[in-house]
Amino acid sequence: MNAAWLPLTTLLTSLLAAVVIFTLPENARRLRTSANLLAAVGKIILVGLMAVRVSAGHEDTFSFQIVGNVDFVLRADALGVMFAGLSSLLWLCTTVYAIGYLEGSANRKRFFGFFSLCVASTLGIALAGNLFTFLIFYEMLTLSTYPLVVHAGTQKALDAGRIYLRYTLSAGVVLLLGAVLLYALTGEHSFSSEAGLGNYLADHRGLLLLIFALLVGGLAVKAAMVPLHGWLPRAMVAPAPVSALLHAVAVVKAGAFGILRVIYDLYGIELSVELGVTTALAVMASITIIYGSLRALAQQELKPRLAFSTISQVSYVVLGVSLFGPFGTIGALAHLLHQGLMKVTLFFCAGNYAEELGVHRIDEMDGAGRRMPLTSLAFTIGALGMIGLPPLAGFITKWYLGVGAVQAQMYWVVAVLVASSSLNAMYFLPILHRLWFRTGPAHGQGQWPKEQRLGRLETHGWLLWPMVFTALASLGAGLLAGLPFSPLDWASRVAYGEYLP
Amino acid sequence: MIAFFEAIAAFDVIEVLLALGLTGSALVCLFDRHLVRACYFFVFFAAAMTLAWWLLGAPWLAAAELGLGLGLTGPCFFYALGHVLPSASSSLERDTFSEPGSRVAMRVLLALAWFGMVGAAIRTVIADMAYSPLEHPLLLAGVVIAASALGAFALHRHLLRRLLAFNLLGSGVFMLLAGVAGTSAAAQAFISVGLVVAWLGTMLGALLIRRLLHLEGVEALGRDGNPKESAI
Amino acid sequence: MIWRFGLFDGTFEPLASTHWALVAALGLPLLLGMLAARLPPRQAWPVLLASVPVLASGLMLLSAYDQAGPLRWQWDIAGIQLSLRLNGLSVLMLLMTQVIGVAAALYTPGYLRLSEPGPLSRWLWPLMGVVLSTLSLIWLATDLLTLYAALELMGLAAVGMLMLSAKASALVAGMRYLLLALVGSLTYLLGVALILGHWGRLDLPGLAEVVEPGPVAWFAAALIGAGLALKAALFPLHAWLTPVHESAWTPVSALHAALVVKASLFILLQLWSILLPDAFYAPRVIAWLGMLAIVWGGLLAWRTDSLKTLVASSTVAQLGYLMVVFPLLLGPDVAPLSRALAWDGFWLQLIGHAFAKAAMFMAAGNLMLATGESTLKGVAGTSRRMPLSLLVLGVAAVTLMGLPPSAGFTAKWLLLDAMVRSQQWWAIAALLIGSLLTAAYVFRLFRYSFYESAPHHHYQPLAPGMDLIALTLALAAFALGLLAHFPLTLLHGGGA
Repeated sequence: MNAAWLPLTTLLTSLLAAVVIFTLPENARRLRTSANLLAAVGKIILVGLMAVRVSAGHEDTFSFQIVGNVDFVLRADALGVMFAGLSSLLWLCTTVYAIGYLEGSANRKRFFGFFSLCVASTLGIALAGNLFTFLIFYEMLTLSTYPLVVHAGTQKALDAGRIYLRYTLSAGVVLLLGAVLLYALTGEHSFSSEAGLGNYLADHRGLLLLIFALLVGGLAVKAAMVPLHGWLPRAMVAPAPVSALLHAVAVVKAGAFGILRVIYDLYGIELSVELGVTTALAVMASITIIYGSLRALAQQELKPRLAFSTISQVSYVVLGVSLFGPFGTIGALAHLLHQGLMKVTLFFCAGNYAEELGVHRIDEMDGAGRRMPLTSLAFTIGALGMIGLPPLAGFITKWYLGVGAVQAQMYWVVAVLVASSSLNAMYFLPILHRLWFRTGPAHGQGQWPKEQRLGRLETHGWLLWPMVFTALASLGAGLLAGLPFSPLDWASRVAYGEYLP
Repeated sequence: MIAFFEAIAAFDVIEVLLALGLTGSALVCLFDRHLVRACYFFVFFAAAMTLAWWLLGAPWLAAAELGLGLGLTGPCFFYALGHVLPSASSSLERDTFSEPGSRVAMRVLLALAWFGMVGAAIRTVIADMAYSPLEHPLLLAGVVIAASALGAFALHRHLLRRLLAFNLLGSGVFMLLAGVAGTSAAAQAFISVGLVVAWLGTMLGALLIRRLLHLEGVEALGRDGNPKESAI
Repeated sequence: MIWRFGLFDGTFEPLASTHWALVAALGLPLLLGMLAARLPPRQAWPVLLASVPVLASGLMLLSAYDQAGPLRWQWDIAGIQLSLRLNGLSVLMLLMTQVIGVAAALYTPGYLRLSEPGPLSRWLWPLMGVVLSTLSLIWLATDLLTLYAALELMGLAAVGMLMLSAKASALVAGMRYLLLALVGSLTYLLGVALILGHWGRLDLPGLAEVVEPGPVAWFAAALIGAGLALKAALFPLHAWLTPVHESAWTPVSALHAALVVKASLFILLQLWSILLPDAFYAPRVIAWLGMLAIVWGGLLAWRTDSLKTLVASSTVAQLGYLMVVFPLLLGPDVAPLSRALAWDGFWLQLIGHAFAKAAMFMAAGNLMLATGESTLKGVAGTSRRMPLSLLVLGVAAVTLMGLPPSAGFTAKWLLLDAMVRSQQWWAIAALLIGSLLTAAYVFRLFRYSFYESAPHHHYQPLAPGMDLIALTLALAAFALGLLAHFPLTLLHGGGA
């Protein structure tokens, strides 16, 4: 039984939300908010339904022919549903947060319209059943995030937008070339086919390597792998919810997810190992991890530090993929989810500090724990998770990655993991120290840069509760990792599906 | 085709005279500085064309040329010059010519290239013309007229001149067409359509020139494509 | 290659109703245009009402083709054989013409009401009618005489339309266009003279049988090619294009850039596929010029400060995409699969560009009308005040950039696929660089629109529906990208 409507409806939910938002007038705040939340909740329900269907062994597929040998395919497979679940859950949180964050500012219609489009593209990427469909949504994501990046309309924002486009559109062209070459070589090649490209190895080794380089090169730009990461720190001028979404789910994860698809579903892991590309990828990822952490250490402002931390953390996913073996895979997939939860929490916190207290720099954060205890607690959870302290979510991924590295006999990866964790600690612990153990304006010393009293609690409720929720979720993902439908459980399901067909 | 050549042979002397008359009037029309005189020569040229069609055994074409070329297209030029409506200004007597030498050279080169191409094309189609060009005086006149008209078109900046040059180019091409393809029904149909198009184009052009004169004055006609910023 | 134009098919006698549909498709636009000159419509609804039978005639022809396959009509008038054919390609082109024509006509009343065009405005309607009727004729005609007459009439009417704004700059540019177009048509005529003199035939099916490669075919192809390239604004004969659009009315620009230049290209491809089957050099020359066109057009659009010049220059570059495909369509030793892909991609790109360019001109016209500015800087801050116009511009630009999910993307995919298969790496590079250049100039425009610190002008409100018409066209280009299967099936039905 194939429920073709399910993936399509899920996709259309956010597309429809975008259309509705664009047609509503700018000042119809209530209607827009309800449409947004309705769509977000509806989508979570639909994705939940898909998850149930996938675990029951169905793969719902919607497809139609575009031209000759090219189809448009949406397929709800385990890996796709995992990413779709992450994006729809975080979409709800971010939407709630954004409603509070943008309260009273201009151009909210444009913002929420493109926000919905952006999530629709992410969902399309998750459910894409072949490379062509993936490409469609991948480029749509580029286009729909541009207005979000330049939302402020300042010179700095526009410059950041230009850099962003330069990187991503060039990457799109490279990716397109790779995809066309692949189609010309093999014809239609669905992500779900078991065959892989092994048959072509004998005759077309060089071409396969070239295609791999083009595809992964194009995807690595969005995944912000060194040296293609330049756009990400600059895109920090965007409003906090956008940064949260860009970093935690949409853009960088789309790149990492694309690399996952290329290696697991297009080339197949055995072929990738045989071509020797996984080792190269592991080296690149390790360089990115260390470099990102080092740069994060040098940042004096909170958001850029988080941005470089993202560069470093996303490459864990790529690193996990390139470790040949189930544990590396589980680590990578689980990290995709865990990192999303933790990073979104951290960005929510950064946004809250900026909104409530006007704090942007790290040295202004002294004693903020007393003024904003919940926010600081959430930040602590996120930061400790990033460092990889048990029993938080980050620990699980690092553990699995370490075991995977040992299994794959790539011992130097363990060294990279250890080094990166200590670097993480070096750039997060000082912030925690400042938050909790230094005295600051909250203790009567000096003043916050720009303090506002946004709500009865420490800040506005719309800003507070999403953050609390994601913080609890990242705590729960670590503590309750053994339960069914936890991120780890789902990641293992995907991984064993990959290795034990 | 053969019948066509035999037909011309009978009118040899008249035909040579006609060809000379056509070429001469075309050259005057193309290169005379005095615009009104050039237009009179155009009318003369159209009359000669009518005669030529008649001689070539295409009375319908002669009628079309008489009606369209002489009757309708000619007056368009006088209208553009302001000679039809007495109230209109008739400041358009002569055109001036001041072009840098390099551009002139380039245009002449272009026109020569065109001439070569047309000549080569004709040569390949009518092989025997290469050996005895003088047996086909009208065809020869067509080549000369078409080539010099294109040269004039490239050389002149003045809009009325270019319009005149286009019309003569058209006539030259029609003569080539008749020479190459004979005066079959198809060729006659093509030439008639071409005459209508030439008339419509000339009318449109004349209207435009009047309008432009009204808006911008005489200088506007000498400049091609770069109107004064202030006038927009 | 030539069989793809469906010249040899059509065994069935068309039904009586099909005859009427043909007459309506060819004559109605002209008739309605004349009527509108007498009674100029002030609202959009009479136009909408009048366009129903036009669109119906197109759909009837589509269904007739669907049922009976390719159709032919033939007349013998005074010893001259005139003939029309209706195959998948011509139905597709006809429908495109009608839809874009109707959209432009619907857009016109609102535009004229707001822009105070002066007394010449009533002439717009009959000229528009002539252009649409002759365009429809060009898609159908299969003899050189009909093609010539239709092409000339269309050209003259187009010149007339473009100059209606009666500004001095428009007149000078229009005069240049007129003279060049006329000379171009004489060049074409000379090529026809060679064909007529050597083979004595005018009907394309007959010609396709008797033509053999040789100097005559080459000269004729060169002359016809030069004349039509001038009319189609193919690089390097494109210089007249931008000044003409600079001060023309919006619906006129939309029609011209979307349809009129394409007609010459259509004839060029059709005649060359007869005269130069499997020629090596000619298509390659066109392709090299196309690569230059992509780069040069992109640079022109990138450097300009005027909104309309930007949109018009992008036509030069987009035509370059089509020129680059020529070796795949006409060249020798192209694998059948590559050729089929290139054929699909060519027409999809052409149609997608027509829709997107019409939409883009309308959106740009809306912005200019509302702000009263015609420069890129003038639209600064419009993202807040006129989000819909800007959105239309964006959606249309996506097609031009060839990003998904648009016809431009699907077409580019097909073309790239064909080029990869036949290993034309230079063409691939040109296509990819073209996308980046397009993105560069498009986003230069959007960058201005996002400025928040822009001064607030007084904005003139637009007539209802002006944005919606443009949006519909732009979305049609999207839909064509995703649902390309249907139009491409029509293309394949050319007979085989």
